[in-house]
Amino acid sequence: MKPARKMFVFLTAFALSVCATAVPALSQTIKVGVVLPLTGSEAAFGEIERNSFQMALDEINAKGGVKGRKIELIFEDDTGKPDVGRSAVEKLISQDKVSVLTGGYSSAVSIGVTALAQQKNIPFLVTTGSADEITEKGYSYVFRINPPASEYPEAVTSFLQEVVKPKTAVILYENTSFGQSSSKSFEGNLKNLGVQLLLKEAYNANAVDFKPILTRVKSMNPDLIYMVSYVMDAALLMRQSKELDINPQLFVGGGAGFTLPEFRENAQAAADNVFSATLWSESVPYPGAMDYYKKYNARFKSNTEYHGTEAYACLYVIADALQRARTFSPSDIRDALASTDTKTAFGPVKFVSYGKKTQQNRLPTFMVQWQRGKLETVWPRNVATKGYIFPTTPWRERK
Amino acid sequence: MDVFWQTLVAGILKGGLYALIGIGMTLIMGVMGIINLAQGQLMMVSMYITYVLFSALRIDPYLSLAIAMPALFLLGVLIQKYFLNPLLKVDTILPHNQVLMTVGIGMVLTEVIRFIFKSDYRSVSTTYSNKTFFLGHISFSVALTVAFGIAVMFTLGMFLFLMKTDLGRSIRATAQDKEAATLMGVNTGRITVITFGLGSALAACAGTLLAPVFYIFPDIGGPFTSKAFVITILGGLGSTVGAIFGGLTLGIAESVGSTYLGMDYENIIGMIIFVGVLVFLPSGFKRLTKV
Repeated sequence: MKPARKMFVFLTAFALSVCATAVPALSQTIKVGVVLPLTGSEAAFGEIERNSFQMALDEINAKGGVKGRKIELIFEDDTGKPDVGRSAVEKLISQDKVSVLTGGYSSAVSIGVTALAQQKNIPFLVTTGSADEITEKGYSYVFRINPPASEYPEAVTSFLQEVVKPKTAVILYENTSFGQSSSKSFEGNLKNLGVQLLLKEAYNANAVDFKPILTRVKSMNPDLIYMVSYVMDAALLMRQSKELDINPQLFVGGGAGFTLPEFRENAQAAADNVFSATLWSESVPYPGAMDYYKKYNARFKSNTEYHGTEAYACLYVIADALQRARTFSPSDIRDALASTDTKTAFGPVKFVSYGKKTQQNRLPTFMVQWQRGKLETVWPRNVATKGYIFPTTPWRERK
Repeated sequence: MDVFWQTLVAGILKGGLYALIGIGMTLIMGVMGIINLAQGQLMMVSMYITYVLFSALRIDPYLSLAIAMPALFLLGVLIQKYFLNPLLKVDTILPHNQVLMTVGIGMVLTEVIRFIFKSDYRSVSTTYSNKTFFLGHISFSVALTVAFGIAVMFTLGMFLFLMKTDLGRSIRATAQDKEAATLMGVNTGRITVITFGLGSALAACAGTLLAPVFYIFPDIGGPFTSKAFVITILGGLGSTVGAIFGGLTLGIAESVGSTYLGMDYENIIGMIIFVGVLVFLPSGFKRLTKV
């Protein structure tokens, strides 16, 4: 009797242990932590990115997920504040036990959370945070899909060199990591072009009144006004430039806010003829770009823009890395990410090291222009959807 | 010289709106002795009312003043009656739990609006949003100039109301000495309710006037609450005339500062004035105007 009983106990124990390990293993999802500003003043972008992550997730899981396992996204809200972002990521790592992290909208938050990810050895694929320093710290666990802020104006610079040839310029930028990073590199570009910089001035984001600073700009009468602003500051800057009747040869936005539909909606006619650097628009020649744009429109009944594409592409890059990773351990996922070479709606993705940067994706940039309420890609010439309008018509002569 | 005048004009126009937001808070401060830290959020609610009326029914923002202000008056009345007054009867360890309550109300308002409208930026783009006229080389935004005029009108109206009417006198009496006012037969409970309503309605006025020249999102309230706070301190905690000067001073100081020092100093200047007034002129401009 005794051996039989022993056998029974053993079998039961064995069966239980199989249940305990095997059953969850089959249904277990791969957890991916996403930190985004879902509330707070940056929430508009956070929502576009969350929707895009969700869209990519549904597509990937509908096709069977990765190696038969479904991906699960765990969203955390950073409210646009670095300290909140850090504690959100802390929670994602220690409580949710995610094996890979992504997201990161503002540069300030991204800087904080990537440092934490590196410390805990969890791979972090930065979606948007664009301050140069994020990939300049030699972090082995941090990757970035979008180009650093300093590279945003590359297309603009070549346009200035070949077409505009301005003599004088003014730079206005919001005093955030993104603004500083962007404006500093553009200043360097201007120097290389031999353009005289009359004024380089920071402003507080979400200001009500830009007239004092614009009045000074007007009195300097520059050929070029370059602005690094988020969407509503961008709209107000343009509206108030129109109000003050400031007429440079061209207004250029350094990406971020100037390409969004909300910019046009708020600025109305003041948006026309404004140029902007951009990383992506639905008309760029990448397979899947227009597709993503249309799918987003159809599903969420609202417009998307490059931030959304970054998010959408990010999850595809992660899924691709997971597919190739030896195991789902963070260090194996890191190795797989490092050898990424794939094509996404946001463009080709490959993490390379150059200059001070490590594990940074390199992409060309584009220049777009608002023409009669529509955003047209105008530079470089080989991808242009329309010819550029230059020089800009003075405000009072416009109909 | 054009630069200076343009700066001054921009500052004064902005200051007019600031004053309007500040008076609402000042009034509440004066009568109830508490800072209403939901002032900016109340303004935000009125901006959304304006937005809805404009986008759904094409009602001009200036006409929607007639809807937004009574609506916010009612909201203010309800807040005071059902959320703030009951707190007076409760014993707590915190002396100013009404102030904490206003913070909470502000958060709830923001999140409710976010729930309904999402975090998207909204615009009330009227035909005159971008219109300007020029006096010499100085440009005036039509919408801001009209807003300034209306702000002055409401401010004067408020002042006359407080000085000349029975209700106004009762409000001032309550502000000066609540117990004495009660003994003189003023229904101070009712007065606090009306005052909070009036304060909210003034915030609504500012919000509605600001909507066509600015933009709208759920978190817009916070920065304006802090501006209103600075103005209230500047004006001398409870003085209406002081708040007008406070608003104009802040507007002009910010403008001049951002022209001649740099725009990233804009907020610092406001705070320096704030600290300066607390140190050197603790009772604010009230001490200079005596009203």
